[in-house]
Amino acid sequence: MNRSNDSCPNLSMRLETASVLVHKAVGAVKRNRIPRRNLIWLELTGCSGNTISLLDGFHPDFKSVAAQMVNILYSNSLMAAEGEAAMERLFGAIGGDYILAAEGAVSTKDNGLYNIIGRWKGRPVTAYEAIQKFGEQAACVVAVGTCASDGGISAARPNPAECVGIQSLLDREVIKLPGCPCHPDWFLGTLAYFLLFGEPELDERQRPLMFYSTLIHDLCPRRPYFDRGIFSSKLGEKGCMFKLGCRGPVTRADCPIRKWNGRVNWPIGDGSPCIGCAMFGFPDAMEPFISYDTT
Amino acid sequence: MNHNEIFINMVQDNLNEMNDTIDRLYTTSNYCAKNRLLNRLRKNMSNLSVLIQGLRGNEGIDPLPPGTGRRFTQAELSRCNGRDGNPAYVAVNGIVYDVTNTAAWGGATHFGLTAGADVTSQFASCHAGQPILSKLKVVGKMTE
Repeated sequence: MNRSNDSCPNLSMRLETASVLVHKAVGAVKRNRIPRRNLIWLELTGCSGNTISLLDGFHPDFKSVAAQMVNILYSNSLMAAEGEAAMERLFGAIGGDYILAAEGAVSTKDNGLYNIIGRWKGRPVTAYEAIQKFGEQAACVVAVGTCASDGGISAARPNPAECVGIQSLLDREVIKLPGCPCHPDWFLGTLAYFLLFGEPELDERQRPLMFYSTLIHDLCPRRPYFDRGIFSSKLGEKGCMFKLGCRGPVTRADCPIRKWNGRVNWPIGDGSPCIGCAMFGFPDAMEPFISYDTT
Repeated sequence: MNHNEIFINMVQDNLNEMNDTIDRLYTTSNYCAKNRLLNRLRKNMSNLSVLIQGLRGNEGIDPLPPGTGRRFTQAELSRCNGRDGNPAYVAVNGIVYDVTNTAAWGGATHFGLTAGADVTSQFASCHAGQPILSKLKVVGKMTE
């Protein structure tokens, strides 16, 4: 059933979107047609999963970006500097040109004291303060992953740290790349597009249409089972997993064709229902992740 | 704003977008851009087709088709929760709809809602003006 998707030129061309954009952006930087702009990657109230996912990028890979497309000014997980020296680089960017990528939600309880991202001149800097300070001045703000986009797992019930997505704290447009984690192609493709052409076309939830225009259900290799009313009643069975609570029909992302870990596989390809990790309201609104005995 | 006004506004929005697309088609020579614009026109046509269905669905006073006059109490509706052989029904504005095989109701749940309940307020807050109900099968009405 996978073959039907693989043979569609529209879908196979989409796989090339990110690599074509990154290749063009790298070429444009090399020929000095566009400047090599600064990138600040803020890790807020999250799990670093988006950083790990970014490092797992494959065609385009992270090295292309780090070495040739942008100048990574700050990323607490990836930079060599640490402590005050690292924060010096971050705060040194104020007033200059930079693109801001933020992963993780923002803890707002007690003025953000539940998430300190570093110390600057002896003073603790909260995620809450950082997103406001650096978000308002950035040339572009990209929310990387579900937590930054919409609160996600960090804001799940009972949400003790009162986490919110970064858009709630910024009075400006934020490009949202939901997904737990964000696919490296989604981020690298969006970044390359911004460098080349400015803001990409977004949907009503500020997601780039080039990656989020289609429902997982519409691209799913198990879709023919749904159309024929053949449903799995337990994991491992052939059939559409809609009766098990699959969230593919309400989730917009191109996982079925892009896949993960070097395009090896994806949840439904491995026999697990989609849990809607790229959809607003995840995880609370997407629960239960599995349902049995559905009629 | 009543439902018909919302539908009419949406029709007008689609027509405006179509006019804009046609203007752009006259000026572009790039075939990729043309294909994109043509796809947008198709999307508008599809929207209009659904909106027309929605407007037709709103014309009748009683949207219940013949043979679907079953009356549901709250207790009966709550049993139709899509589990253990029971169908998945939800009520909106007093009408009971079958969502057993509706794709967006995987596992008889939808964005934290469970089948077998009156979801009128949630529907109004999330889907007002969207032609969704006209696509669902009506199975009855709630008792007063």
